[in-house]
Amino acid sequence: MILLQQIINGLMLGGLYALVAVSFTFVIGMLNFLNFSIPGIFMLGGMLSWALMVQYALPWYAAVPLALLAGILASLLVERFTYRYMRTRFGDATEHAIPLVSSIGFLILFQGLVQIRWGADLHNFPSPWENTSLRIGGLLISVPQVISLALALTLVFGLTVLLRSTSLGRSLRAVAESPDTAQLLGIDLPRLIPAVFVVAGLLSALAGVLFALNYLQVSPVMGDEISSFAMAAMVVGGLGSVWGAIAGGLLLGLLEVLTIFFLGAKVIKPVVWGALFLLILLRPQGLFGKPSVGRGKF
Amino acid sequence: MSGYLAGILALFSINLLLAYAVFLPAAAGMLNLGAAGFMAIGAYVSAYLDVEYGLPLPLCLLAGTAASTVMGCLIAFPILRTRGVYMVLATLAFGEIVAGLLINMEAVGGAAGYPVTSFIDMPAIAALAACGVLLVVYILSTRFGLAMRSIHDDEQATALFGIHVRRVKVLAFTIGAGFAGLAGALYGHHYNYIEVANFNLMLSTYTLLYVLIGGTQTAFGPLVGAAIFSLLPEVLRGSEQWRFVIFAVLIIAVMALRPEGVVTRHGLARLFGRKREAG
Amino acid sequence: MADLLTLDGVSKSFGGLKVIQDFSLSVAPGSRIGLIGPNGAGKTTVFNLITGVYPVTAGRILMGGEDITRLPDWRRARHGMARSFQNIRLMPHLSAVENIMLGQHLRARRWWDQMAPLGLMPRNRWKRDAVAALEAAGLARYADALVYNLPYGVQKRLELVRAAVAGARLLMLDEPAAGLNPTEREELLAHIEGLTSGGTALLVVEHEMGFVRRLCERVVVLNFGQKIAEGRPEEVQRDPQVLEAYLGTGAATGAAADAA
Repeated sequence: MILLQQIINGLMLGGLYALVAVSFTFVIGMLNFLNFSIPGIFMLGGMLSWALMVQYALPWYAAVPLALLAGILASLLVERFTYRYMRTRFGDATEHAIPLVSSIGFLILFQGLVQIRWGADLHNFPSPWENTSLRIGGLLISVPQVISLALALTLVFGLTVLLRSTSLGRSLRAVAESPDTAQLLGIDLPRLIPAVFVVAGLLSALAGVLFALNYLQVSPVMGDEISSFAMAAMVVGGLGSVWGAIAGGLLLGLLEVLTIFFLGAKVIKPVVWGALFLLILLRPQGLFGKPSVGRGKF
Repeated sequence: MSGYLAGILALFSINLLLAYAVFLPAAAGMLNLGAAGFMAIGAYVSAYLDVEYGLPLPLCLLAGTAASTVMGCLIAFPILRTRGVYMVLATLAFGEIVAGLLINMEAVGGAAGYPVTSFIDMPAIAALAACGVLLVVYILSTRFGLAMRSIHDDEQATALFGIHVRRVKVLAFTIGAGFAGLAGALYGHHYNYIEVANFNLMLSTYTLLYVLIGGTQTAFGPLVGAAIFSLLPEVLRGSEQWRFVIFAVLIIAVMALRPEGVVTRHGLARLFGRKREAG
Repeated sequence: MADLLTLDGVSKSFGGLKVIQDFSLSVAPGSRIGLIGPNGAGKTTVFNLITGVYPVTAGRILMGGEDITRLPDWRRARHGMARSFQNIRLMPHLSAVENIMLGQHLRARRWWDQMAPLGLMPRNRWKRDAVAALEAAGLARYADALVYNLPYGVQKRLELVRAAVAGARLLMLDEPAAGLNPTEREELLAHIEGLTSGGTALLVVEHEMGFVRRLCERVVVLNFGQKIAEGRPEEVQRDPQVLEAYLGTGAATGAAADAA
């Protein structure tokens, strides 16, 4: 029974990893760009909903959408100064490490600004519900966690439908194949690429809100650790594969919880990173990935 | 010299050595996000030999540098088979693995940190850093350095001139790892205390960023980058928190306006061009 | 006479698409061969297969009698081949003279040549050698300029010089005359003739027949990845298959010879 509880906890945690991993993998798959600002947008989602609720006394149904909107705007800001800038200046963005480096700059920027405004400490996130756990036959199931897992799966399902069957999706897939060819085919890149960042920003910020609901704590660096796990999940699933990221996220959540259960919390980092390291060297395409993705020039 | 200035100089010298650890691979077109891992290896090996066996300080430094060099060479072969995003993630993972293992090693204090006995003062550190600068200047002036810079521009075309690209990349990465090891060993002996948190991902990231701000085309780029990084906190005394924001804006602006970094060959040529024509 | 370079039944497919089919070629030491054909015929692919940019799907490649089919690109270069590229691939952040010094690599592989701090010795023999090569090409005044600042015609010539200083037995030029005006083209011809007068074999890709006719003693015509003709330039020029490849079905024979 305890083990079953651990497995459930692992899957719930994995749902969060999956959501962030999908953001990473989506941008890489479409644009071949490892966007390091995602942990920052994740943090903005959590911190801003906290600030709007606690500091500005907004109800949650106003605070959360506003925080998500802020996440999307932040993501568009990143797009404007990393990807788009490089493309207009050098004709291509992915052959250079520059967008990656600038995106680290944005991560530091977002964290720094939030820290200046609200300090570096942990803040308690108000729970909108009285009791957030369900008890089913001795198993404790957290409602926010179930919601985040369900939401993650629904959103990703929606994303795949969008990619498969809408004209926007078809254009996006053409861009993923080759931005230059897509442009030749008459696809309006400057108008299309922001869509990728809107999706990534929305997913990351949402994951941040869900994280806050689950753990009832927020801080300026809340995105760091979860994002390193999400990146690992992305590699497990194969760069550019959305469903791979989901599977990788769940797998990693399980791995983490079970490692802690059997071996203790201190070995979790070497285990996860060691596994990731070996995977990159031995099977870089991950479990479901396209081997061509992510092999930029730098 | 005042203690304050000496402190800044020591930190700058260590940062500079670490900068070259990132610079050497970067000059050959590789991004290393695991510099702190190599630094930790150098720091802990040197400190351990000092504390447990009481070896003379120069020997400890040498052993620390050698250990990280060997480790660099060992992981360079598999890591350099990967490219792009994979390589960034592999080096990042390496740094995290080192930190994760050290925190579990009770022999070197685990999470509690590790006090280091022997002290090394600023002049020695600065002298070693100066030797480091000279070594990098020398490396870049050889055919090997030429090959590194060619690989940065066009790996495939470089190979077609008979250059063993993999060997050049492995060497650049390995020598870089050695620089990081030395930086770590010096860090431990200067502050007489090390803990895993000193060598985290943030340090690797910031080092990569200030090297790229300085520029990877000449040996002087890291000098400027390390100077900015070491002096910014001093200039912004009292507004601690703003320094991250300023640093972030700086990196975004440099990447957007001057993606080759602050110090470029073109810039240097313009600066010294007149002199060359006269002479 | 033993061949310098032999391609024996070489084929290449990219994901099922056959780009080169059963292509054979032999280059004698000191000979000058033109590889011509319409756009997309696979000429540059042949160069890439010889130099090892990608592996062949089938067939063998021999250099100086040794099988180099399975060797990586850098080892093949050490068998004595040097090339230029259709789209210029100079190192943009190196100066012109440094690019030329890169070309010298095949001749500078002893360890003391590798370890010498050439950049700190302004008058070392390698640099003098490189500057002399630039002078011979009339490019001496660009020696210290960074390449990305230089005009196209200069870059094109620099690539040629860089390939030539390798001291290779086989010099492979990919469309050296593309984008040059008639005057520059005359200079280029004289330059190439000078470079190969010492017995270096030459393999030139061009799709412009006039240039090849004056430079090469033998031409090989490629169309859709297959060899469709081989022989002396004036013979090949009259070959009906060649004319068809260049001008399409039913083209007037007389006009074709002039246009090509």
